[in-house]
Amino acid sequence: MNTTHLKLGSLAGLVACLTLAVASPLHGGDWPQFRGTNATGVSDEKNLPTEWSKDKGIKWKTPLPARGVSSPVVVGNKVYVTCSSGTRDDRLHVLCFEATTGKQLWHRQLQATGGTARHPKSCMAANTPVADETGVYALFASADLAAFDSDGTLRWYRSLTGDYPTITNVVGMAASPILVNGRLIVPMDNAGESFLAALDTKYGKNVWKTERPRVISWTTPLVRTVGTTTEVLFAGPNGLTGYDAATGESRWVFKGGGSSIPSPVLEGDSLYLPVGGVSKFALGAQGVTEKAVWAVKEAQTGYPSPLIYEGKVFATSSQGFVVCADAKNGKLLYQERAKGAFSASPIGADGKVYCINETGSCTVLDAKARDWGDAVLATNDLGEETLGTPAIAGGLIFIRTDKALYAIGK
Amino acid sequence: MHVRFWVAAVLVVALSAMPAPADDETVRALAKIKAVTKEGKGNDDAGPAWKTLVSKGGPALLPTLEAVDDSNPTSANWLRAAVDAITEAEKAASRKLPADKLEAFVTNTKFAPSARRIAYELLIAQDADAKGRLLPGFLNDRSPDLRRDAVTHKLDILEKLARPSIKADLESLFAFTRDKDQVELLAKKVKENGGKASVAGHFGFVTYSNLIGPFDGPESKGFGIAYKPETAAAATGTFKGKGDVELKWAPHSTSDPFGTFNLNKLLDKHKNAVAYALAVVVAERETSCEFRVTSPTSVKIFVNQKEIFGRDEYHHGDPFDANTGKATLRKGENVIVVKVCQNNQTEQWALRWQFQLRLCDETGGPLAGLTQIASDGKPVPLGFITEMPATEEKK
Repeated sequence: MNTTHLKLGSLAGLVACLTLAVASPLHGGDWPQFRGTNATGVSDEKNLPTEWSKDKGIKWKTPLPARGVSSPVVVGNKVYVTCSSGTRDDRLHVLCFEATTGKQLWHRQLQATGGTARHPKSCMAANTPVADETGVYALFASADLAAFDSDGTLRWYRSLTGDYPTITNVVGMAASPILVNGRLIVPMDNAGESFLAALDTKYGKNVWKTERPRVISWTTPLVRTVGTTTEVLFAGPNGLTGYDAATGESRWVFKGGGSSIPSPVLEGDSLYLPVGGVSKFALGAQGVTEKAVWAVKEAQTGYPSPLIYEGKVFATSSQGFVVCADAKNGKLLYQERAKGAFSASPIGADGKVYCINETGSCTVLDAKARDWGDAVLATNDLGEETLGTPAIAGGLIFIRTDKALYAIGK
Repeated sequence: MHVRFWVAAVLVVALSAMPAPADDETVRALAKIKAVTKEGKGNDDAGPAWKTLVSKGGPALLPTLEAVDDSNPTSANWLRAAVDAITEAEKAASRKLPADKLEAFVTNTKFAPSARRIAYELLIAQDADAKGRLLPGFLNDRSPDLRRDAVTHKLDILEKLARPSIKADLESLFAFTRDKDQVELLAKKVKENGGKASVAGHFGFVTYSNLIGPFDGPESKGFGIAYKPETAAAATGTFKGKGDVELKWAPHSTSDPFGTFNLNKLLDKHKNAVAYALAVVVAERETSCEFRVTSPTSVKIFVNQKEIFGRDEYHHGDPFDANTGKATLRKGENVIVVKVCQNNQTEQWALRWQFQLRLCDETGGPLAGLTQIASDGKPVPLGFITEMPATEEKK
């Protein structure tokens, strides 16, 4: 449990041994987890649409059986979506669609075994699933966790509340699992037994399970490789911890990195933490430097996680603000109130930034623009509640609303 | 001859509705799935078994639904997903599900409520008329979803009737409601039609309770400290409380229709504190019972000096019935103690310190033969709210 005290000057030598990696093999252009590859919110896709509406620019639209605030994930030609329904919000749904056509391939349901109390805005389908070429791993706010092969075969299922009965968060959980080196990393910060665990993907058994403070949190872990070690970076209200992905042992703790709702962003050896607005920290082999390189205090987000794209920091907020700053120096470029509050995180691709608000209105920004007047390319309205972050894959933008899954593009 | 014919016909229909016995492979697959337990134990065998089960197709549907009956919640979800896979494949092959067998399963209340609900949905997806045919029989069902739909269905029918008064029908229907929103809706409609509906009585709220506190719970850790009153057999004795103040039990009542005891008003505002509520409930006979507590803070429930439930969570909301313990009430007097903790958060929204306690059956409905002991020592029904003002709250 070390808090690092690295000086900026010593970083240069360490950078050479730092390489970033997302450990699960994927097709180029996949969007396998919350905010895409390693939760960056960035895709390499090109020729993405700028304008659309309910009646224009939609490749396909398919109804969903119920609400969800989780994001769609895409691997190969499959899109996976989770939903939850019922008077007690205790029916859990996992669905798979063909990405190119929207055809439903399969639909499986589970009964929630854990508590289903939550904030009215959320639901049990709040955690975003993670997928690879073999299938999908769906964690729900009720702490039910299932792995399905890509053809809908149930590979395994765990009732984490059955396993660890004190798990509780009546606000509702939402942290998303990730895949690292063929293991499923499960974040479970809550008011009861809290942990970060690695499960084998074949049978769903614990490989390791590391105790965490009993404090509720909704952040999704990140991954990086330091020399020969893969680290899982996991933020909670008490700080950011780097865990050895092989053993679950804590390698370092950065107490200044506390965050409980938005997740951090990793770009090279820079870590952008949603603390004090958005703050940039240098990351060395032994963790985070204690002093921020800069902070954009205006970039208060509330629910959404920030985006680092095209040399800029983008942040949207639950108050409806869009903030853009220069990622080199943290200089504020613009801060404007858009149309409505944001829950979904902004995403970037094809030189554009997509900021979709809670009513399904998406402000498309030119990522290169340095002022708001030049930045706004379009505002596209689907007119449906949209709380999940969209996904980008195969030249399409996948937006899940409370009623339907849309594939936007040609 | 005529009688023989009808007996034979009835037998043929009954036999055709009975599920065919599962083959050995299906039986073995179900056994392996039902063997899964905690932390993935049994998953190695359950995975291949799930594939075998699903490969059996339509003939495995009823055995899979039946298997939910004696499965644990984890294995029930393996079976739940198998039902989806089986029915999806049948639909893809343009094969109809066995409607007669599904209906026989749905209407047989010995099967698990969750499995019967699944069967019901499969059935109505294939036979729209089944809804109107079956729902009237589910008004008092153990499945909360079947019951809810049945109440909604009956209410729709009642409100379309051109009858001068539906008061009595609404009062009868109110008795079947369980979900809070439906209870409130029906209570409102009963009252609008000139009838009587006691929400507090229907929910079985404890409205008379002895209170003691505050005990010192330093650094929000009172939940884990066993203070003497939590194993109390009666509301007697004196104890040293927060700030070395001598504490005694005091009788209180609430007139809130949802049985809320506001500890901030009854015991004063405190942080890092613990209070206890002690209620005496008399059962006419041994009664299996659920004890449901609603509170924004950490609680424990004790029945006859035995802890039956605990949840350590503060100020994340107070969802109705979020804390549920189960125990059997003995014939005669039973002592129920609720420990209600308060932490050290100082935000305005974190000052709430209150609880509601209700006793009900597994469906959340009222239990017959229970009374609570009021402040004057006399038995009164659960949910009883006197016309007189409740205990004076501290200003």
